Amino acid sequence: MKNKNELKFAAVSFSLDLTERDVRRRRMNQIMTRAIQFSAFLAVIPIIAIVLVVAINGLSGFSLEFLTNSPTDQPRGILNAIQGSLIMTFLALIASAPIGIGGGIYLHEYASERTARVGELVIDVMLGVPSILAGLFAYFALVPIIGQSGWAAAIALTVLMIPVVMRTTQEVLRLVPVGLREASLALGVPRWKTTIFITCRTAISGILTGVVLAISRGLGETAPLLLTSQSSNDSNIDLGARMNSMTVVIFEWAGSPDPLYVTQAWTTALVLFVLALVLNILVRFKSINNRVL
Amino acid sequence: MSLRSSATVPAKKSASAGASGRGQRNDEVAMQLKDVEAMYGSFRAVNRVSLDVKARSVTAFIGPSGCGKTTLLRTLNRMHETTPGASVKGTIEINGINLYDKNVDPVRVRRSIGMVFQKPNPFPAMSIEGNVASGLRLAGQTNKADVAEIVEQSLRRAALWDEVKDKLKEPGLSLSGGQQQRLCIARAIAVEPEIVLMDEPCSALDPLATLRIEELIRDLKDRFTIIIVTHNMQQAARVSDTTAFFNMGDDKGGYLVETGPTAKIFTKPSNKMTEDYIAGRFG
Repeated sequence: MKNKNELKFAAVSFSLDLTERDVRRRRMNQIMTRAIQFSAFLAVIPIIAIVLVVAINGLSGFSLEFLTNSPTDQPRGILNAIQGSLIMTFLALIASAPIGIGGGIYLHEYASERTARVGELVIDVMLGVPSILAGLFAYFALVPIIGQSGWAAAIALTVLMIPVVMRTTQEVLRLVPVGLREASLALGVPRWKTTIFITCRTAISGILTGVVLAISRGLGETAPLLLTSQSSNDSNIDLGARMNSMTVVIFEWAGSPDPLYVTQAWTTALVLFVLALVLNILVRFKSINNRVL
Repeated sequence: MSLRSSATVPAKKSASAGASGRGQRNDEVAMQLKDVEAMYGSFRAVNRVSLDVKARSVTAFIGPSGCGKTTLLRTLNRMHETTPGASVKGTIEINGINLYDKNVDPVRVRRSIGMVFQKPNPFPAMSIEGNVASGLRLAGQTNKADVAEIVEQSLRRAALWDEVKDKLKEPGLSLSGGQQQRLCIARAIAVEPEIVLMDEPCSALDPLATLRIEELIRDLKDRFTIIIVTHNMQQAARVSDTTAFFNMGDDKGGYLVETGPTAKIFTKPSNKMTEDYIAGRFG
């Protein structure tokens, strides 16, 4: 450097040579990074494995007839199970979404702090309740009155789906800044309009995520359905009678000695998986476009 | 203005109020506070404030942190009571009507007395245009031509129109901090309030954006009565006509020390405490 003499640094003993500590720190950093990457990798393995196994085992049994025929037809299909799953989940959805969203709004926007805490605890307990208990409840409380039926199953699913929607709604409303509610109230907007058109509209994508989670849960439940809707070979949409569902079909066919049944259990699992996936992607896609939080 | 009749549409109401009220002498009183006290539970955050607010002028509330300026401001449009446990004593009158009369609906009060907050808070789910129109739409005014006209007028008054006229459909949050705050001012004045309350509207903004807002405040006082809370004494001196100085008492509650024309408060305050505060000796 030509002008070396003009420039004087104050730190005379300044050095950037790598010391042993630097080397150790670098090594430690790398080890930690690898460890974290590895745990992420381990977490993904089962998911990938499940997808692969379901796809490999299920694809061979797949045909268009499988979707459009009933279990009694030749070749066998799962039309009534798809119908049953969708109908029962849909019923549970239209019951649980308003209750869950309304309840979540109440807990976060209207309830006193104490009520909110108690409510939260109750939801958490409900979320943790094994689904077979919801099935047992329906079996002993509803089935004696309305029989093993689609209705009983839909009610059991509703019980399981409400806390999912409610918890997510409450959590996502927590993310809406207080300032937005205040801005709206200060414009002379009544509280109920503020809640719906400002608070909930801001949080809508999160609320919808909760609804999708609930649908996924409803579609995937098996235990409560075994006790309530059971299975059926009829291609009916009569909710007063037993109803077939994809999860129960998988459960029953997978245990069959007939290898064709086992293959078709895999295929049913594949159909169920793809259905849940498509649903998720649709709502995610829609809600990412509207994401504001 | 009439806060009791709930049938009138806000825009029409203030239009008639404008015909009779606006453009008169400048020493008219817009709002009269008598022995106003604001409580949080049993804690008295503001002690017995009595004050006349002049119409179509800027009144600044100044004072050290914790002296209850913001709390008092929030009692003026009944926002204080939205905090759990909060309550108000005393009377606040406009045209002889007590805002805290039990026949008065707080929603009507807030339609007549708008508010701009410390942090710009545009509605994230709405466009620029949607933000300005939100107060109108949520009050049930949906005539498209009317709304569009009011939106343009409000944005012009908020000195934001030229910057946003080509992107009215873009989200309100896409604007810079200073623009967002002017958007919030446009939103507040779009519902044609009588009084606009501003709670440290520039504290989150850089000096240039602050300057623009201050210019805007001076423009707006032709039409609106403005009450501004500020930590910045120079700002109070620059924008306000009247200054009210608050301090914190021994009980931690705030009280009004003195009030008067800004020029007088900043040059010849009658209270020693005001003088010390203005001179930067505390606070």
